[in-house]
Amino acid sequence: MKTTVPIIVAFLAGVALVLAFFFDQRTLIGSLSQELRVWLSIVGGFTLLLGVVSITRVNYAAVKQRKEGWFFKLITLVSIFVMAVPALLPSSWSSLFGRQEGSIYDWLFLYMDAPMMATMFATLAFYIASAAYRAFRARSPESTLLLVTATVIMLWRVPMGEWFLDQLPGDIPFFLNTYIMNGINMAVQRGIIIGAALGAASMSLRIILGIERTYMGKG
Amino acid sequence: MNFWQRMQQMDRRWVYLMVGISVIFPFILPITLPVSITPEAQMLYDHIEALPDSSTVMLVFDYYPSTIAECEPMTIAAARHFFEKDCRVITLSNIPLGGPTMAEQVTRTVAEQYGKEYGVDYVNLGYKANYVAVLSGMGQSIESIFPTDNSGTPLDELPLMDSVVNYEQIDFIFEVADNATADYWVSIVNAGYGVPIGCGTTAVSAPKYYAFVDAGQFVGLLGGMKGAAEYEQLIEQEGDAMVGMGAQSLVHLLIIALVIVGNLGFFVGGIGRRKGAK
Amino acid sequence: MSGIEILQIWIMAFLTLALFSFLYKDNAVYKLAEHIFAGLSAGYYVGLIWDTVIVQQLWEPLIAGKALLIVPGLMGLLMFGRFSQQYSWISRVSLAFVMGTTSGIFLVTQLHGLVLAQMRSTMRSMAGSDGITDLLLSLVIVVGVIATLIYFYFSKEHKGILGGTAKVGVWFIMISFGAHFGYTVMGRVSLLIGRVQFLIQDWIGSFGQII
Repeated sequence: MKTTVPIIVAFLAGVALVLAFFFDQRTLIGSLSQELRVWLSIVGGFTLLLGVVSITRVNYAAVKQRKEGWFFKLITLVSIFVMAVPALLPSSWSSLFGRQEGSIYDWLFLYMDAPMMATMFATLAFYIASAAYRAFRARSPESTLLLVTATVIMLWRVPMGEWFLDQLPGDIPFFLNTYIMNGINMAVQRGIIIGAALGAASMSLRIILGIERTYMGKG
Repeated sequence: MNFWQRMQQMDRRWVYLMVGISVIFPFILPITLPVSITPEAQMLYDHIEALPDSSTVMLVFDYYPSTIAECEPMTIAAARHFFEKDCRVITLSNIPLGGPTMAEQVTRTVAEQYGKEYGVDYVNLGYKANYVAVLSGMGQSIESIFPTDNSGTPLDELPLMDSVVNYEQIDFIFEVADNATADYWVSIVNAGYGVPIGCGTTAVSAPKYYAFVDAGQFVGLLGGMKGAAEYEQLIEQEGDAMVGMGAQSLVHLLIIALVIVGNLGFFVGGIGRRKGAK
Repeated sequence: MSGIEILQIWIMAFLTLALFSFLYKDNAVYKLAEHIFAGLSAGYYVGLIWDTVIVQQLWEPLIAGKALLIVPGLMGLLMFGRFSQQYSWISRVSLAFVMGTTSGIFLVTQLHGLVLAQMRSTMRSMAGSDGITDLLLSLVIVVGVIATLIYFYFSKEHKGILGGTAKVGVWFIMISFGAHFGYTVMGRVSLLIGRVQFLIQDWIGSFGQII
C-alpha cells in the first residue's frame, strides 16, 4: 500500500503525459493531460510552501531551545512573518496588504530582499578574482589550454580587450567567435546537452516504470 | 621569503581592494568605449525587427534578483524594441522569488514611456508554479494555466487576451533567464510548438546556448551585460549595460594581470617546483 | 527626490554595505542582514504561492464549479504529511504524481527537443558545408561532440580507441571550460558593477539632496 499506490500513480500519470504527445489536443487524452498539467502546477506550489514550513520549523526549534545563534534565527522568523502576513491579508482592507504595487510585500521585496540578493551574488566577483590569482595555474598542457582560452575570452568580451586584440595581426575576434565559441565550445556543450538529455529521459522512464523509487525516501 | 613568495601569500583582501577600486574608478572618471556587435545579438535584433507590426510576443522574466544587473537591461531594451514596433506584449515568469514583481515593474515603467495601455497593449500573467507544467500547459490553453493575470483579473476581461488562446497566436518569445528554464523553452515550446525563441542570458549560461543558436532553436542570443550593451546599441538607446562596460573592461584586465602574476610566481619564483618536490 | 525615496535608497545602501562587510571579516551586522534576507525570501514565497496558486489557480476555479480541482488541493495538503514520522508515507502519493507527470513530459521532450534536434544539427553542419573552411569547422564540431560524449561515458574503461577519443575529448572540454570560465568572470563582475552603480549613482548621488 505504502509503495504500490505511489508507483501506480506515477505510472498512470507518466503514461498519460507520454501518450498526450502523440494525440491531438481535442481528444480525451489531450484534455486529460491538460488537466494533469494544471494539477501539477498546483501541487508544485504546495511543494514550495513545504520548504517554507520546513525553514520555519527548524528556526523555531533553534529559538525555543536557545541554540547558538538563536537571536539571528529569531530575526529570520520575524522576517518571514513580516513579509508573509501582510501579503495574506486581502488588499480590499488596505492598499498596504496583498501583493500589488505599494503594498508592504512589494516594498519589502523591492527595497530589502532584491538588493540583498543582488549583493550576495555580487560578492562572488571578489572571490573569483582571488581564486584566479591563487589557483589558476598552467600546471599541465590541459590546464594551460583552459587558462589561455579563459584569458583570451576575458579580453575579447570587453571593449578595451577587443580593441587590444584588434591591434594584433589577423582577425582574432572573428576567430574566437567562429572557431572557439561556435566551434569547439559549441561541440562540447552539444555533447553535454545530448548526454544530460539522454540521462534525464532514461531516468524518467525508470520513474514511470517504478524502477527508480529513491524519491519516496525510506520506510 | 622572496618577492614572489610574498606575493603568493598576500592577504586576499588586497585582491578584493584592487577589484573594488577597478570597479569604482570608471564611474568617477567615465571611460566611453565602442561596443562591437556579435553575430548572435545581430540575429536576434534582425528577427525582432522583421516581426510584423502589432505582432503578439511573450517577454519572459525567468531570472532572480541576483542577476538583475545582467538581465534587467536586456528586458528593458527588449520591451522598448517591442513597444516601438507596437507589438502586443505578454509577460510572465517561472521564477518564484521576485519574477512577477520584476516583470510588473519593468514592463509598467517602459510601457508608460511609450503610452501603452495595460490589458490592451500589454498583460502581465505573473507566476505559476512548476515551469514544466506551465510551459507544456500553455501549448494547449494559456487560460487553463493562468486563469487570471498577476493582479487577479480574469483573462477574459483583458482585451489583449481575447485573441490569444495558446502558442499558435504567439509570434515570438524572448526568454531572459539566469537558469535552466531556457532549456525547457527550447525542448518543450520551440521543439513542440515551433514558436521562434530568442534568448537573453547571464554570461555564466551563455556558452551553453551557442548550441541552441547553431541548431536554429534560438534565433539569437545575448550573453551577459556585454550582450545587453550590444542590444542597447542596436536599438540606439543607451542603458545601464553600456555604462557598465568601462568597469567591466578594467576588472577583466585586472584579473588577467592577477593570473599572469600568479603564474609568474608559480614558475619564476620556484613555488611550483617546491610543491612538485613534496 | 522625495524623503521616502531617499530613505529607501539609504535602507538599500545599508543592507548592501552590511553584506559587503563580510569581505573584510564575518561580523554581526552581516549576520543580521543575512538572516533578514533568508526570512524575507521565504516570506515572499508564501505571499506569492498563496495568491497565484492557492487563490487564483485553486480556490477561485473551485468555487466557480471546477470540482475536480479538489484532487490537486488534497494532494498538496498530503505533502505536509512529511512532517509526521507516522504519516510521512502519505506524502508519497503527491510526490509520485509530481515525479510521474514530470517524467512523462521529460521522456518525450528531452529526446524530441534536445537529443534529436542537436544530433540533426550536428549532421546537417557536415552536409551543408560551404567551402573547405566551413567543412573543417563542421568536422571540428562532429569530432568535438563525439569525443565529449565518449569522455563522459563511464560504463567502459577508457582504453584503446575509447581512451584516445576520450583524450581528444579532454582537450575540447578544456577549451570549452576555459571559455566558460572567461564568461563566468564576466558574469560575476557584471553583478558587482550593478551594486557599485547603485551605490555611486543613487546612494552617493542622494547626499546632495540631504545636504
